Amino acid sequence: MTIPTPADTVSVPAFLDVAGAEKAFGAATVLGGVDLGVAQGEFVSLLGPSGCGKTTLLRIVAGLLGVDRGTVRLDGKDITALPPHRRDVGVVFQNYALFPHLTVAENVAFGLKAHRRGAAEIREAVKRFLDLVHLADFADRSVRALSGGQQQRVAVARALAVRPKLLLLDEPFSALDRKLREAMQIDLRRLLRELGTTSVFVTHDQEEALTMSDRIAVMNRGAIEQLDTPEAIYRRPATAFALEFVGLSSRLAGTALGTENGLVHVDTAFGRLVAPGNFVKGAPVLLAVRPERIKVDAPGDFALTARLRDAVFQGSKVQLHFDTRAGDQLMVETADLPQGVPTPGTEMKLGWAVADTLLYPAP
Amino acid sequence: MKPAAAPSPWRDPVVLLAVPALLYLVLLYALPLLWLLAKSFVGADGLTLRPYVDFFADPFNWRVVWNTLGIALWVTLVCLVIGYPAAFALARAGAALQIAMLVAIILPLSVGVVVKSFAWQIVLRRDGVISQFLVGIGLWDEPQRLLFTETGLVLGAANIFLPFMILPIYSVVKLIDPRLLEAGATLGAAPLYRFVKIMLPLTLPGVVSGIAFVFSMSVSMYVIPSLLIGDRFQTLSTLTGRSFLFMRNEQLGSTTAVILLALAIGVVVGSSWLARRLGSSA
Ligand SMILES: Nc1ncnc2c1ncn2[C@@H]1O[C@H](COP(=O)(O)OP(=O)(O)O)[C@@H](O)[C@H]1O
Ligand SMILES: [Mg+2]
Repeated sequence: MTIPTPADTVSVPAFLDVAGAEKAFGAATVLGGVDLGVAQGEFVSLLGPSGCGKTTLLRIVAGLLGVDRGTVRLDGKDITALPPHRRDVGVVFQNYALFPHLTVAENVAFGLKAHRRGAAEIREAVKRFLDLVHLADFADRSVRALSGGQQQRVAVARALAVRPKLLLLDEPFSALDRKLREAMQIDLRRLLRELGTTSVFVTHDQEEALTMSDRIAVMNRGAIEQLDTPEAIYRRPATAFALEFVGLSSRLAGTALGTENGLVHVDTAFGRLVAPGNFVKGAPVLLAVRPERIKVDAPGDFALTARLRDAVFQGSKVQLHFDTRAGDQLMVETADLPQGVPTPGTEMKLGWAVADTLLYPAP
Repeated sequence: MKPAAAPSPWRDPVVLLAVPALLYLVLLYALPLLWLLAKSFVGADGLTLRPYVDFFADPFNWRVVWNTLGIALWVTLVCLVIGYPAAFALARAGAALQIAMLVAIILPLSVGVVVKSFAWQIVLRRDGVISQFLVGIGLWDEPQRLLFTETGLVLGAANIFLPFMILPIYSVVKLIDPRLLEAGATLGAAPLYRFVKIMLPLTLPGVVSGIAFVFSMSVSMYVIPSLLIGDRFQTLSTLTGRSFLFMRNEQLGSTTAVILLALAIGVVVGSSWLARRLGSSA
């Protein structure tokens, strides 16, 4: 599938198009004008810390919550005022919300019956979707007798069985243990790709978002700070928040000394460093580098000397932490240590490319 | 939602905690009751069904049975129709309103049936509020007396028993995850469909307890009919009372008591069986 660039989403209206969505509960503004475009067949994650408004945005798209201002369009139709049962938007709830009085098969059949499909069609669809989530043998069990992972899969099958135009998933794996979660991420992703279901997936787990998504919307305090591919978000986080929330980074506070030819000279605790950007003299900034872009004992665009505080052996790679000023963080991830893991206290030379240097206004 | 492995009640020592309550009930309630009821089966020459044959041979007694059942059914129906929505409102109300409503429902229970029945006498009089109100809005041409009528009895009894319908339904509704209705909506179910297929089956256990409570209380009520309708309208329990108190006919009294007990048990057991059937097929 092709991943639309932000330019595409501006020119062609997206399949799901949320524009200027605002929501406040009493005096507390939870969403402050959110725009979100999702292409048909795309899998987009809403990634952000707990309380940033992910569930609220999802509920607005599903029609379970009204917006104060803004519109929601799906497949070219304005659905802002439609009640949830007329939107064709499926939801997998965080706690699954399975019907406790019904069996597994009856749960999956619920939406089909509500849509008044024929008995034969219902039987076939229930069988097909229970097969897809590997629960065919559980059809006649009570949902109360299922494990968390099985309940989660019933919830997915139930939502997909009516073939919604859009599937919303609210942290569907948060209650599962790590191993099961990873297996189910891959499974779910494959299933949704096979069905071509357009999906919006809420998570606060950056690894989950990076693994599963075509694009990630990084949310912070009721706003989307960046909407881009996992790789682009990792390589070029648009904001200091996105930098901090996705992946690890070395971060040094500094002061801009002035901009020259698109390069900012920054005064940091490790001396003068250079980064692409544009800041006036005296502006407080945050300079950052991803830890695997830093080379050890190799000449980069600049070399600085730092004393090793701690080395963490992680199998395929080693994480090196260096002494810094309070508030700064200097860490390196490398697989390439010909001399073996050095002992703490060793002075080491570090370097990286100017192009890999990220620069933000100090948060 | 997690399945709990149910330990056998015979091996779980916690079950022993029920022993004092059981002893109390058996010694002070069940045994004397059985002894009293047994009287209806004992004639001058040993065991007999004579009292029952005699009882049902008299058309007046059939009227009494129908009176009893009819009033109890009406009271239960009125309580259900008023109590079901009220239980929802109570369960979904905010904390402060919920406390206020619970107090309003439970506090009147402490007033006592006699006081409330006298209060209803005033309300149901020809110049009572109901009559005045219905004349005021033009529904009635002239004031009428509701006191000493079946309608008045149903109104009064339903009011007094209403908490016993609301509370069990409320306790069930409170436990239902509101997400379930939202899940139904996102699956394409319209509001009525969601109510019938999700809310109704899940609240059924509460409805059955409410019906069982209200029906068994209204089928056996004694003070309320005595004060609100009087002697011209006999029910099994007023007849039982008269047999013991005025007619000094212990055998008739125990016969009517047995019939009353059988009716109440029949309806309560029957309605919970029906509810389970409905619940599993919904
Ligand atoms: N119904 C509500 N009433 C009042 N505040 C709410 C309500 N729902 C959510 N909030 C608040 O809105 C904020 C965002 O909530 P939510 O969308 O659930 O966040 P997330 O899903 O990202 O954790 C939180 O601060 C939460 O307390
Ligand atoms: Mg949430």
